[in-house]
Amino acid sequence: DRAIHGPTSYIHSGMLQARSSGEIDEPPGFLERSEYLLKDWITIFHTHATRDPIKSFSNFVNKMNIYGILKGDEALTRFFRHATQMCIDVTYRNDPTINNTKIFKYIDPYVRLIALLVKHSGETSNSTTKLNLLNKILGIVIGILLKDQEVHKQNFQQLAYHRIFIMLFLELSSSDPVLENIMTNVLTAFCHAYHILRPSIAPGFCYSWLELISHRVFLQRILATAPQAKGWSMYSQLLVDLFKYLAPFLRNAELAKSVTLLYKGTLRVLLVLLHDFPEFLCDYHFGFCDVIPPNCIQMRNLILSAYPRNMRLPDPFTPNLKVDMLSDINTQPRIHSNYAAAIQPPNFKKDLDLYLKQRSPVTFLSEIRGHLQISNEPGSRYNVPLMNALVLYVGTQAINQIRAKNQNPTMTNIIHNAHMDILQNLAVDLDNEGRYLFLNAIANQLRYPNIHTHYFSCALLYLFDEANTEAIQEQITRVLLERLIVNRPHPWGLLITFIELIKNPSYKFWDHDFVHCAPEIEKLFESVARSCMVKTQQ
Amino acid sequence: GVAPLGPTPLQKDHQVQFQMMEAAYYHLPSPSDSERLRPYLQRQAIATPPHFPQTQLPHSDTIDFFQRLATETLFFVFYYMEGTKAQYLAAKALKKQSWRFHTKYMMWFQRHEEPKIINEEFEQGTYIYFDYEKWGQRKKEGFTFEYKYLEDKDLN
Repeated sequence: DRAIHGPTSYIHSGMLQARSSGEIDEPPGFLERSEYLLKDWITIFHTHATRDPIKSFSNFVNKMNIYGILKGDEALTRFFRHATQMCIDVTYRNDPTINNTKIFKYIDPYVRLIALLVKHSGETSNSTTKLNLLNKILGIVIGILLKDQEVHKQNFQQLAYHRIFIMLFLELSSSDPVLENIMTNVLTAFCHAYHILRPSIAPGFCYSWLELISHRVFLQRILATAPQAKGWSMYSQLLVDLFKYLAPFLRNAELAKSVTLLYKGTLRVLLVLLHDFPEFLCDYHFGFCDVIPPNCIQMRNLILSAYPRNMRLPDPFTPNLKVDMLSDINTQPRIHSNYAAAIQPPNFKKDLDLYLKQRSPVTFLSEIRGHLQISNEPGSRYNVPLMNALVLYVGTQAINQIRAKNQNPTMTNIIHNAHMDILQNLAVDLDNEGRYLFLNAIANQLRYPNIHTHYFSCALLYLFDEANTEAIQEQITRVLLERLIVNRPHPWGLLITFIELIKNPSYKFWDHDFVHCAPEIEKLFESVARSCMVKTQQ
Repeated sequence: GVAPLGPTPLQKDHQVQFQMMEAAYYHLPSPSDSERLRPYLQRQAIATPPHFPQTQLPHSDTIDFFQRLATETLFFVFYYMEGTKAQYLAAKALKKQSWRFHTKYMMWFQRHEEPKIINEEFEQGTYIYFDYEKWGQRKKEGFTFEYKYLEDKDLN
């Protein structure tokens, strides 16, 4: 896992301490004292804490001191463990048919106490003490949650944990100079916590987890307020956790109600992101497409349709649109993913680079398939992330080479080189399953106007044109069409490529058998063609 | 079909995850779980007929909208929706209508006439105020409004 030092180590030590309950060295009466104190604080909170919060808090801290709670790290940890456990116990004792007010009246004051202790621990300017305490408490809550899930199994209740996390986050993100100062680190702490509690680890918590990571204040803080590089990459990790969890359930397309609900929630979050933070989806699209199963067309379209807000996309249906004349078409998109490093093992990468440089030995081409194939199990024969990385790497290397000659990619200069050798070889040499994944890897680059979109659009059309069997052409058509017949949004580059394919007579699209294989498919093509404003050749 | 690579059976740990998720489905989080407690107007989700409005009017969270509301509505929002944006907007709308909040009596006052006395510390005269206990507007003659009780934070 992660290196155990810094604030993260406090989460882990908190988790460990939470799990080591029932220990023998518990000071006599400590539990009772903790219970008394928590109840006392709850009373204070509901009676006069709102009128004079500072005085109530400092009086209470004195009391904690007298009761020996503040006598060192160990006592404090023990107190938080007991207090958290008491909040959880209240949840399990509550009658679920009446509302949750009683539980919240118990938990909310406790959360306020945590926030106040974090805020006031150490000197005002000493953020380390505050963050260590916060991480420790988060660790304790996580530890108790995971243990609770093991013990209660299907009877596990997410409610109390949900409340603690959301209320603590809201408390800590209120506008206050001391808190603003540590906000980025608070976000880091919560992201760590949520990553540890990802649905594959805490499936009983998955709905609450999705609510927590999509809460409007959390989104605002992490995607708009926090320094971009940090907030965005942390948030992308949480989305990857979500997609990975959903993947095995979605890929079989037999959706139980519980899966459908989580899936719908995921779509909603993606829609919010597409509307409010499209640049975030643009920058991290590659990593997301790696973990989204191939059959989740719409989910992937949502991510691939994102484009920078200042950009104006020309209508793909404009007659005689000259794509290569667009000013944006030669700009490099940002890819926040180390796809070059994903090409493993190292000697495969070395051979690949050598081939791209020398266009030899030819034997390299026949070896690629062996690297991509990982099993003989139909449906999971190939290493999809490696396929995606290989395709993007070859494309970007091709672009670099063309750029080095002061040119931009066109239909004529992307061919007859080592890069196209590899793409063509993959199209011809792979079986249906491999080719499907390969073509999807290409189609994942067909997005808003940029140099990757342009290169891969040209490359795909070239592969269609040069195909030695109709099967390849049929599969290319399938990959494009299946991304277009779903509901909107549709990526711009995808539309551009498909329109070019059916409009440009040089591809003889309408002469192919698969276009006419079934009346409903023929109708489908005609209706797409009509919407592309081209006369069908009949 | 919809699974182009064909179905793959769920592995053991995925099955366990699925069972936990299925169980969680029957006690889902509710909207109030992520909100501050509402002491008076708690959420009560019930299905209303589809021909009833299902969503709030657009722009009903603007100061323009709140200024079109009746004074009594604004008082209701102020006293029963504490700590919300609605309360803030109601207070703002009341201030625009020359109501002023008395922090000791916790009531809103409006001059009924020009005050008889105005000095540095207070003003005195006849006022209309809203009594939240009797829930209605009352008139008070010869009332002294001490400025130290005047809530004068700038609501921008």
